Amino acid sequence: MTLYMVKYIYAPQWFYGKDILIDVVSIVVLLLIAFFSIKYYQIKKNKNYIYLTLSFTMLALSFLFKIVMNINIYYKVIETMPLTPVTITYQALKASGNLFISSFLLYWFLTLFGFYILYSIYQKQSRLDFWFGTYLLFMMTFYAYPSYRPFHLTLLILLALITYIHARKYLNQKHYATKLVTYSFGIITLSQVFFNLVDYNNSFYVTAEIIQLIGYLSLLITFIMVLRHGRKEDKAGHHR
Amino acid sequence: MAGKRTRLDIIGDMLNSILDKGGKIKPTHLMYKSNLAHTQMKQYLDELMQKGLIRKVKKENSEVIEITDKGCELVKKLREIKEFEAAFGL
Repeated sequence: MTLYMVKYIYAPQWFYGKDILIDVVSIVVLLLIAFFSIKYYQIKKNKNYIYLTLSFTMLALSFLFKIVMNINIYYKVIETMPLTPVTITYQALKASGNLFISSFLLYWFLTLFGFYILYSIYQKQSRLDFWFGTYLLFMMTFYAYPSYRPFHLTLLILLALITYIHARKYLNQKHYATKLVTYSFGIITLSQVFFNLVDYNNSFYVTAEIIQLIGYLSLLITFIMVLRHGRKEDKAGHHR
Repeated sequence: MAGKRTRLDIIGDMLNSILDKGGKIKPTHLMYKSNLAHTQMKQYLDELMQKGLIRKVKKENSEVIEITDKGCELVKKLREIKEFEAAFGL
C-alpha cells in the first residue's frame, strides 16, 4: 500500500475540526454574497456582477476542497511518527492520497483563481493577459506543491492589492460600505501574514484561522448592513 | 462629471420622484423632476405601466401617477444594488 509523506499538520490537536467549522462559515458568507450578486445581475445586466459571483463561488469551492483535505488529514491518519519529544509530528496518509493531493491542489488553485478574478474586476486587462495570469497561477500551484509558502505569499500579495484598491476607492467615495469592505479584506490579508508563519509555531495557524473568521464575519456584517441600509432608506422615502 | 444615465437609472429616478411626493405625482411634475423630454417620458410611462410599476389614477379633474407595490419593491432593490455596488466597487 502506498504511503504518502505529507507536510506538517499545522493545527494543534485541540484545534482539529474547529478550522473546518471556520471554513464552513466562510463558505456560507461567500455563497450568500455570490447568490445576491447573481440576483442583482438579473436587474442590472452588468457583467461585473457575474465576475463577482464567479469569484466568490470559486472561493467557496476552494474552502470545500480545503475541508476535504483537512478531513483526510485529521480523520484518516494511520501513522504518527514523533520526531521530537514535543508536539511536532509527521503524518502519513493511507491510500486516500490521490483524493488528498487533488483536494490540496484544487484548494490552492481555486483560492488564487477566485481572488485573481476579483482583482481583475478592478484592474481591467485584456482577455489574453487574464488567461496568461491564470496560467501562471496554475503552474505556480502545481510546481509549488507541497511547499505552502509560495501559495500563501502569492495570496498575501493578491489580497494586499485588493485591499489597496478598495482603500483607494474609499478615499475617493467616502462611502461607509466601501470602508467596511476594505476593513474586511484587510483582516483577511492579515490572516495570510500569519499563515506564512505557521512553520515556526502552530499557534500561528490558530491565530490565522481566527483572523480569517473575523474577516469573513465582518464581510457578512457589511453585507447585512448594505441590505438593511437600502431597506431603511426605502422606509424613509416610502410614505404611501 | 456624472456619466450618461442608463435606462435603469432613469426608471429609478422616476420611481424615486414619485416616492418623494408621497407615492403620487402629477405627470408634469414627474417630467421636470426626472429631467425628461415629453416624448421620452411618455415612452417610459407606458413601459412602467405595462410592467405594473405605476398606474394612472383620476383625482378630481386631473390625472396623477401612483407607484404600485411592485414599483416600491423595485426601488428597494435598486437602493440595495446601489449600496452593494459602492461596497464592492463594481
